[in-house]
Amino acid sequence: VHTQNHGLEYDGCNFFRQRLVLSTLSGKRVRIKNIRSKEDDPGLRDFEASFIRLLDKVTNGSRIEINQTGTVLFYQPGLLYGGAVEHDCNPQRSIGYYLEALLMLAPFMKTALKATLRGVTNDPIDPTVDLLKTTALPLMKKFGIDGAGFDLKVVKRGMAPGGGGEVLVTCPVRRTIKPVQLRDPGKIKRIRGVAYSVRVSPQMANRIVDSARSVLNQFLPDIYIYTDHMKGANSGKSPGFGLTLVAETLNGCFLSAEMSSTPQGQGDPVLPEDLGRNCAKLLLEEIYRGGCVDSSNQSLALLLMTLGQQDVSKVLLGPLSPYTIEFLRHIRDFFQIMFKIEVQKPLEDERKGGDKVLMTCVGVGYSNINKTLK
Amino acid sequence: EEDSDEESGEESEGKDDEAAEKNMSNIYISSISFGFFFSGIYIFTLSTGALCWKEGLQQKASEAFLRQQQAAPNLRKMVYGSDDSEEEEEEELGGLFRVSRPQKSKKTQANALDCSHFKADLSHNWDLEEMLNSIRDCFVTGKWEEGQDAA
Repeated sequence: VHTQNHGLEYDGCNFFRQRLVLSTLSGKRVRIKNIRSKEDDPGLRDFEASFIRLLDKVTNGSRIEINQTGTVLFYQPGLLYGGAVEHDCNPQRSIGYYLEALLMLAPFMKTALKATLRGVTNDPIDPTVDLLKTTALPLMKKFGIDGAGFDLKVVKRGMAPGGGGEVLVTCPVRRTIKPVQLRDPGKIKRIRGVAYSVRVSPQMANRIVDSARSVLNQFLPDIYIYTDHMKGANSGKSPGFGLTLVAETLNGCFLSAEMSSTPQGQGDPVLPEDLGRNCAKLLLEEIYRGGCVDSSNQSLALLLMTLGQQDVSKVLLGPLSPYTIEFLRHIRDFFQIMFKIEVQKPLEDERKGGDKVLMTCVGVGYSNINKTLK
Repeated sequence: EEDSDEESGEESEGKDDEAAEKNMSNIYISSISFGFFFSGIYIFTLSTGALCWKEGLQQKASEAFLRQQQAAPNLRKMVYGSDDSEEEEEEELGGLFRVSRPQKSKKTQANALDCSHFKADLSHNWDLEEMLNSIRDCFVTGKWEEGQDAA
């Protein structure tokens, strides 16, 4: 990381969204160079260009410069505007890729965000829209981002690679973010899930449900997995199925796992029974990691802690994912905030999974200057 | 007189502390664990007033250090550690050609897939009863701590 007149400087295309999101929130300019510069096909990919276009739509006055080969990007953030936005997300990545970043920006807009995103709703790489709906939204509510206007609706489902799905995201605007103390997740009281299928036999979803239940029933009787079979115009362009599982604790924390069928024409097909069983095991793995926030939402929680009012926030996490570790470094670069990181070993006779990490920080007291006073 | 005695005692203790501090800074690499252990000493001296806390100081220190090391693999260092230290050096041959070296792991990571997904630990076999038992108490059906109730 080098700080120069033109802001922060980074190498490579990895952590692309983190950098642009934190740049937008902090107002610091960023320059990313050597983007795939040594590959046969150098420069930014279509999905990254699509992400930049989305960023341009929700902001006002952003300046984006890309060199001819696409290996260097300069970004000077504008003001977060929000409002009604429509965007066709490039199907190389699923909507989850774009939405993860959009959710980080949404509470800090000038006007409440109402975004219609079209593209791939479910693929095996990124968090699906179903997962974000059931984990990211409840997490954000804990930080005081709530109200009737906070919703994520899957209007049409579109599996990879064809896509053709559509989601509607609405998020209210907040002036400040509430500090939180999430130190004890509490015990898991129930498991919910969605088994979805499009353009295949609706029986697929039932087969997924049965096999997932067979694993999870060893722990808990309160399991309900909804089956969701969208038809006709709402079923997108590609066939596929998948499962999202969420364990809910007594203290309102959510741990999740998911699996999608391999996209048509890419690799070996999966049996719904295997998918259900493996997804249930992934949920057990996530429970083993534990904490108050599940692994895919760690960075969202850490961001909201950073931007909170000037007070102490504490959140218990499972082991930090490599993505989160890089996010922490970026938070230090953009906001000069370093977290206190304490490892909590489980007691000897405790059967609550592996090591946990308690993250503590004092928020920067970020206030949304974009929000209009009424 | 007693007061002055105590004061002088404290003074000498203070000097000892300084000496001990120097000693222990050799033993301790991590300043965090150092502060942690040291606050323990003060409590100890208050309660006894004697200088017996000095006995086996080095051993106690090393024990505490090991305990700390085991309890906390230094995550903070892992996250915020100095990664700027690795400067890239490219040798030049005859001032014209550069020796191209295979990319370091960090370099290749710079252009890896931007994805928040956290891969599962493959060493965990969730078919084994042993693994299943390791998370039993995460559920309401598991064992409850004292003072808590399933209500």
